[in-house]
Amino acid sequence: MHPSTAGLVAYCDAQAGSARRRRIDNHLSRCQQCRGELRRIQVEKDELSISGISGATGDLKTGLTELLSSMVAWRDGQTVGLASGVKNRVRSQLELYMGSPAVSLMERPGMRAEELLANACEILDALLGPAAAEAVRDDMLGGLRCAREAAETLSRAAVERHPRAAADKHPPRGSEKHQ
Amino acid sequence: MMRKSDFEGIESAPRWILLFLGANLAAGMLAVYVWHAANLVFSIQAASGSTSALSVTGMAAVDLWLCLVVLRGFPAGAPLRSAWLLITLAAAARVVSGVMGSLSGSGAPAVLAAGGPIQLALLAAGIFTLLRVLRRFGFCREPGTADWAVSGIAVLFTLCRLGEVAAEWLAGRPIPLETWISLAGLPILCVLFLEAMLLRQSVVRIGNGLITRGWVALVCGIFLTGAGELTLWVIPHYSQTLPLAMFGALIRLPIAAAFALVPASQVAAQRRATKPANGQPEDLAGGTDHRLLWPVMPR
Repeated sequence: MHPSTAGLVAYCDAQAGSARRRRIDNHLSRCQQCRGELRRIQVEKDELSISGISGATGDLKTGLTELLSSMVAWRDGQTVGLASGVKNRVRSQLELYMGSPAVSLMERPGMRAEELLANACEILDALLGPAAAEAVRDDMLGGLRCAREAAETLSRAAVERHPRAAADKHPPRGSEKHQ
Repeated sequence: MMRKSDFEGIESAPRWILLFLGANLAAGMLAVYVWHAANLVFSIQAASGSTSALSVTGMAAVDLWLCLVVLRGFPAGAPLRSAWLLITLAAAARVVSGVMGSLSGSGAPAVLAAGGPIQLALLAAGIFTLLRVLRRFGFCREPGTADWAVSGIAVLFTLCRLGEVAAEWLAGRPIPLETWISLAGLPILCVLFLEAMLLRQSVVRIGNGLITRGWVALVCGIFLTGAGELTLWVIPHYSQTLPLAMFGALIRLPIAAAFALVPASQVAAQRRATKPANGQPEDLAGGTDHRLLWPVMPR
């Protein structure tokens, strides 16, 4: 009696019991038809597993690519939005303190936000005084956490420009003790 | 529409100055009108002199105080420190001239020198420093034809005055010391006119912001100084009946107010920076209306 297709599949998957496996082995040694059937099942199974694995890999790659693209787009969007926000604030402050023509004079096409900010701070520092310019700068950068680094850089530059004023504002600890 | 908060704090100084100037000018105009309506039957020269001198000296004192406030905002090493220092010294010279004039008479040489060539020279040096800083940032521009024409009028006036004095001197008439002091200030006034025109061009290039309003006031102050000198020189040539002291008073106060508006606008800008006006329209935040000062300035 020939084994059923389900039995051959189970044999092929090594899921058949030992008695059943022995019976199928005995039968396959005598029956060419069942050997052919087993070969066909094996081939189909191999094809299925190969196509399944490669299909899964393709989906993964596509998914990862899409995910990375989305992440990059999100990050770029955030950066562009931040830069645009900083630029708008710098422009509005320059318009308030100096005037609209000054903005067009200072801003070149394609100018980066930090460059515009640095130029604006330098000019306001010169024309308005360091303390007031610092307040304007804080106003421009208010709420922008990513711009903190730029603010620190500008503070360092301001200290380098006006070391005496900075010393007056933030006296060294040693001098406080002496006082 | 004005609100109560618009007149609070030191940042409202430009508004107070303009208000005071407006009231004073209105009173002066009314006095001239009454004098004219009364067919010149009484003299208003003596009555106006001491009052106007007090107003001018008071305005100069406010100017000096505001200059000192501004100067505190520019520590040593700041690019505009020296410019503001010189402008403060010019304001101090005006105060000294006003106070000494009240005490020892306005004709004293020291009074005339302090209120004339000395303060003009200090102002010229201050504006020169300011223009250098503006040039560094690329905000300077060549003067236009109108600027050259206005400066030319100042030069022409100076030459006329020099010619007049030279003619008197050649005729053997004695030249009083105050005339020499006055003449010494005229070449400086020419330089100031040229600087004012350069500053005006810079303001046109930059725009009318809170900072530049002070410079507009400075240009106006210099322009009014020149116009006042010219008017006071021209009037006696054409009319002996016009109340010269009254006109002098009417001119001197706007000049003092214009110079006081320079630090007042700067203080307003500095205070606006350190204390941002919450919910205030930015255009009204502590500044003067540029149309009152210089009608040709751009918005």
